[in-house]
Amino acid sequence: MSDSTSSPIDDTIADIPLASPLEGIAGAVTGHVPEGEFEGASKRRLGFGFWLAVSWLVTIVLAAILAPYLPLEDPMENIIVPSEGTPPYSPSSTFWFGSDQDARDMFSRTIWGARTSLTVGAAAILFGMLVGGSLGMIGGYFRGTSDKVISFCFLILLSFPALVLAILITALMDRSLLTISLTLGILGVAPVGRVSRANTIAFADREFVTAARSLGARNTRIIFRELLPNVVIPMSALALLGMAVAIVAEGGLAFLGLSVETGVTWGILIQIGAGRSELEAAPWIAMAPITVLFLTVLSLNFAGDRLRAFFDVKEAAL
Amino acid sequence: MRFWLQRLAAGLLLLLAVSMLTFGAMNLLGDPLFNILGPIAGDTENPTSVALIEAAEAEYNLDKPLPVRYAIWLGNFVTGDFGVQFSRDGAPPVRDLIEERLPRTLTLVVMAQLMATLIAIPWALWSASKADRAVDKASTVVTFLFVAIPSFALAVIMKWLFTLKWPIFPQTYNTSDPFWDRVWQTFLPALTIAIPAGAVYQRLLRTDLITTLQEDFILTARSKGVSKRNVLLKHALRPSLFSFVTIFGITTGALIGGALVVEQIFRIPGLGSAIVEAILREDFPVVLAIVMIITIGFVVLNILVDIVYTFIDPRVREA
Repeated sequence: MSDSTSSPIDDTIADIPLASPLEGIAGAVTGHVPEGEFEGASKRRLGFGFWLAVSWLVTIVLAAILAPYLPLEDPMENIIVPSEGTPPYSPSSTFWFGSDQDARDMFSRTIWGARTSLTVGAAAILFGMLVGGSLGMIGGYFRGTSDKVISFCFLILLSFPALVLAILITALMDRSLLTISLTLGILGVAPVGRVSRANTIAFADREFVTAARSLGARNTRIIFRELLPNVVIPMSALALLGMAVAIVAEGGLAFLGLSVETGVTWGILIQIGAGRSELEAAPWIAMAPITVLFLTVLSLNFAGDRLRAFFDVKEAAL
Repeated sequence: MRFWLQRLAAGLLLLLAVSMLTFGAMNLLGDPLFNILGPIAGDTENPTSVALIEAAEAEYNLDKPLPVRYAIWLGNFVTGDFGVQFSRDGAPPVRDLIEERLPRTLTLVVMAQLMATLIAIPWALWSASKADRAVDKASTVVTFLFVAIPSFALAVIMKWLFTLKWPIFPQTYNTSDPFWDRVWQTFLPALTIAIPAGAVYQRLLRTDLITTLQEDFILTARSKGVSKRNVLLKHALRPSLFSFVTIFGITTGALIGGALVVEQIFRIPGLGSAIVEAILREDFPVVLAIVMIITIGFVVLNILVDIVYTFIDPRVREA
């Protein structure tokens, strides 16, 4: 992998975005950490766009958490408005995002969908970070046989097309919220693990680690006190990107009829609205959740990308 | 030579591991008998059902221990025999199903990758030649948007805009139509997959091009009087293709996943619907065959990528 940041003419091209492969979705799936985009804005500042993305994320997360307390319609209730004729109703002051064929309020459904989708996304990346992160650190720190075994496991996980693996697990287990989250979490293990392994290797040879060891620190202390802080902080950017991937993957599962059985997610909402007759009569059924999903994924990607640039994370080894 | 042998061995080991994992998981977690026999499978009281169960177990090799079954399956698989489908109605052998479905998915994925490349290369060349100007910055924003959009969301939008609102493309995929008609019916789904992939490729290639354009040999070429256009096309492009080719191989896995979903939205009966149906029916041989074919494709493609390296950069051959 070429690493453009090592170029001797760094100073002259400092304001060229040193982007690299596989941003966003493809990035987290295959284990590449994308380089920061829009670096022209200066690496030491997060910038206006970052805070814009963060405010959207805060809004949507708050809305999701507070959904039961907000003055929303019941997402499952059929609200027939005789004066408007037969459903689906188009967007209006009553139905901000319109209603679906069963006269259910799309605005409320989108917010309730956020609840499930965001939970799945957050739980998945948490699992991926915990399992993949620790495996990667173990492999990267101890090297030798354990590293070889762990790396080979990562390779196997990566060689399944992600969605096929997810289909396999959800179909064989069940389709509860927990199973779906864990399944998508497993998809994150290998990409996260590879990055954490590469970062660990990069830091394991640094002077402060040697110093700690020569002072008599044991492995556990070195890993938790010296390496972990250095590996975890830059990986917060990866967490945001990974969360976006998990949310998107849930949508993919929904289209295959394999998402959570009870409740609504963004994927399920879009899938309901994606039939030909629905798209013809009421495109807003699909477009409302698509817009919110897109803005969320975009914000996660953008914020993650800016954080990466901020922490100056270099391209991880392949 | 040794490098290629190692590469091949690693690929085979990977295939073996993937097949064991899939085979083991499905057999430990699923209950295929129920899908072959229906409710009789649970009836162990009635002697006639028991006889049926035993006959079915013998027929599908389910009475043998797991490793033996795996060995039988593996032996058959490498000789091109994918077994029979686990179903009652005398469905065709798995191989027939695969031969029917695979070309559709393959057409979709190949068309998508072609389109993505055709989008990415000219766009990256244009963008790199205007590096850091307003148009380039605008195009960077556009790629950022394209990369973020999930393929299923884009598929729904495309379907709505271009088959319903402005019916430019056909709405349905007809399995009985002639080949070229079906290629045309695959155009929009392929474009849906190609746009985000192309955006990923464009960003990568643009960065590498910009780096290459700073090299001394580019300056030499320019000072000899080579036009800007020829410098880009004949001098800068080839050395910049390295990461692009790598990613091309790696993204194919993700692309296949996307293709399975996009197939569902545009109603193309390819491997996507086949594997979903098979998993729901716990039709193990079909699932295994599809997983293996996809993984083989993935392994072969990544070896091909290594071969392509040697064409782009002759130094790799010596290394």
